[in-house]
Amino acid sequence: MTPGNTPVPIEVRGFKKLYGSIVAVDGIDLSLGKAEILAVAGPDGAGKTTLFRSICGLVDFTEGKISVDGYHIPKDFEAVKPILGYMPQIFSLYPDLSVEENLAFYAGLFGLSRDEFRTKKERLYEFSGLGAFADRRVQNLSGGMKQKLALSCNLIHNPEILVLDEPTTGVDPLSRRQFWDILADLKREGASILVSTPYMDEVGRADRAIFMNRGKLLAEGTPEDLVNRYQGRVYEAPVEVTSAGMRKLDGLGIRAGRFGATLHIYTHEMVDGGSVTTALEGAGLAPGGVKEIEPGLEDVFIQLMGVEPGNEHNSEGATHD
Amino acid sequence: MGRRRTVLALVKKEFLQVFRDKMMIRLIFVAPILQLLLLGYAVNLDVRLIYTAVFDHDRTEISREFLRSFSADDYFVIDAPDIPITQAEKGFRENRYNAALVIPEDFSERLEAGQEARVGFWVDGTNANAAGIAIGYAGLITQKFNERMTPLERPITLHKKFLYNPEAKTIYFMVPAIVATLLTSLTVMLTSMAIVREREMGTLEQVMVTPISTPAFIMGKTIPFAILGFIEITVALAVGIAWFRIPFVGSPLLLYSLAFVYLFTVLGVGMFISTISHTQQQAMFFGWFFSVFAILTSGFFTPVANMPAVVRYITLANPLQYFMKIVRGIIMKGATAGDLYREIAAMFVFGAVIFSFSWIRFSKRTK
Repeated sequence: MTPGNTPVPIEVRGFKKLYGSIVAVDGIDLSLGKAEILAVAGPDGAGKTTLFRSICGLVDFTEGKISVDGYHIPKDFEAVKPILGYMPQIFSLYPDLSVEENLAFYAGLFGLSRDEFRTKKERLYEFSGLGAFADRRVQNLSGGMKQKLALSCNLIHNPEILVLDEPTTGVDPLSRRQFWDILADLKREGASILVSTPYMDEVGRADRAIFMNRGKLLAEGTPEDLVNRYQGRVYEAPVEVTSAGMRKLDGLGIRAGRFGATLHIYTHEMVDGGSVTTALEGAGLAPGGVKEIEPGLEDVFIQLMGVEPGNEHNSEGATHD
Repeated sequence: MGRRRTVLALVKKEFLQVFRDKMMIRLIFVAPILQLLLLGYAVNLDVRLIYTAVFDHDRTEISREFLRSFSADDYFVIDAPDIPITQAEKGFRENRYNAALVIPEDFSERLEAGQEARVGFWVDGTNANAAGIAIGYAGLITQKFNERMTPLERPITLHKKFLYNPEAKTIYFMVPAIVATLLTSLTVMLTSMAIVREREMGTLEQVMVTPISTPAFIMGKTIPFAILGFIEITVALAVGIAWFRIPFVGSPLLLYSLAFVYLFTVLGVGMFISTISHTQQQAMFFGWFFSVFAILTSGFFTPVANMPAVVRYITLANPLQYFMKIVRGIIMKGATAGDLYREIAAMFVFGAVIFSFSWIRFSKRTK
């Protein structure tokens, strides 16, 4: 594979990273295609950030091979910088500077001339809607606007490859949707995007996704493929369950996931709604109206992860925001 | 071209941040003025108005004449306290007086008989520096008195002359020292904190994935503080000249050129501190530690020659000591580059070694 203009903008093979004796990521393979959005989904501690920072040459890794645009990482990382945009998980713009000052700073770092910046700025304001806040200090922006600005700063040099580490975490639902609209536009213009998220609903907007948990790859495929991975039935019961209650269910061999005010119960193909109700009543819960539902990506994820006591996947608003 | 834009973007951003921070502006502009005023008025090493208790057991015209010679200048303020000499120490403890003069009963008798007369002079040694000066004054006054009383026709008189600072004003010697220390502590602290802040906030990581080169980053992070350093010493000098009327004898161009050379040392120290600190507090602590060490062993207050041998050797490793000599030499004595060749050589060596060492360390830390 020759560097530059490869059909595979990002390729990771057998990636492994240890911190001391702790395995952060244990053997991940992924490849990002041209003009593709690849989502990496998983809870905190899945190893997403370690993987992304390694792709961006910011940490040394233990084993494996990473190439970006055909260049070997971290050795030839310098060569990739002009075509790469990286948004770290932690918001990292200057809060004491205004929106425009931040943009101008990044334009300077990428060597844009004053005229180039002026043109680019207008385009970025157009799609981000930040033009009205150009003089506002970043510390006074909402979470969603901050993330749009961070993305804008990373688009100043028209990167072909974007690596976005949880760009929508902690952002309101409307802004999250707008953010993904922007990603879709960028993709249409030819950008290849690797994006991580803890929200399963966002996975549905990617071309392909990878599920990660505790440093391991759980599954890979298109959102449709992944939904079809679900085996068995999913029942929904309108009960709120405490963590202790979840442990109790687990002790009784009932697999379930919490979704805010409802509970999803994962069963074999043969189990009917009546038995689920009985089982829940046996656990001291009073479910009113258990019904079968279509499995979602979140349900697939929980099933793949295997619900462990005290470690059940907390579906932070994945279905109800 | 690209490099220049990158450095400019960094410098501009740094200035925006500094001037947007009201605390910073206070630190940079108000602090030096305050420091000068405080040190100019409060840290006055000239010793005057030494409150002296007098125990005159002789009570003759001669003893009174002797006492008058003590109170002639404003060095000593004499007073005969209403307490017996056995309780004199109490007055010292209560800080009512800092010295005591004891004239024995046979003072005039012995003098008239051409014999040696002894006078007791006690001084509060708590402030050893002031005590030493007080004893010096007392000795001089006594010597003058002796000269007047001696039968010799041409008494030997001692002519003293302070070179470069005829009035022996502390402020003349303080202003140059403050210029040197301000440049040191300000640049060390600001440089190290500006870099660590970026690391702490995660912005450094974001900057490091842009095509910026390490030299461009270092330049962008040091040039603003070099400029601020120059502004700082100019403010301090302006206040010193306009308010305290200190004479500036030497060449301002030479002073600024050597300050430029010295900047490599202090910016290097700041950069080094940024590589060993994870938080701004740590950077501030290291910066403070460095500054205190540098100032105490620079000859700011105490001449280096007065320090014990071991400390004297340590001061050889203190770049501020040389810069202090340069600043005082140029401002007070009008020293030329030729006069200061040793200190100038030291500036170049320190600058080259510290700056390149920190540069390498910094590059390794950030890749």
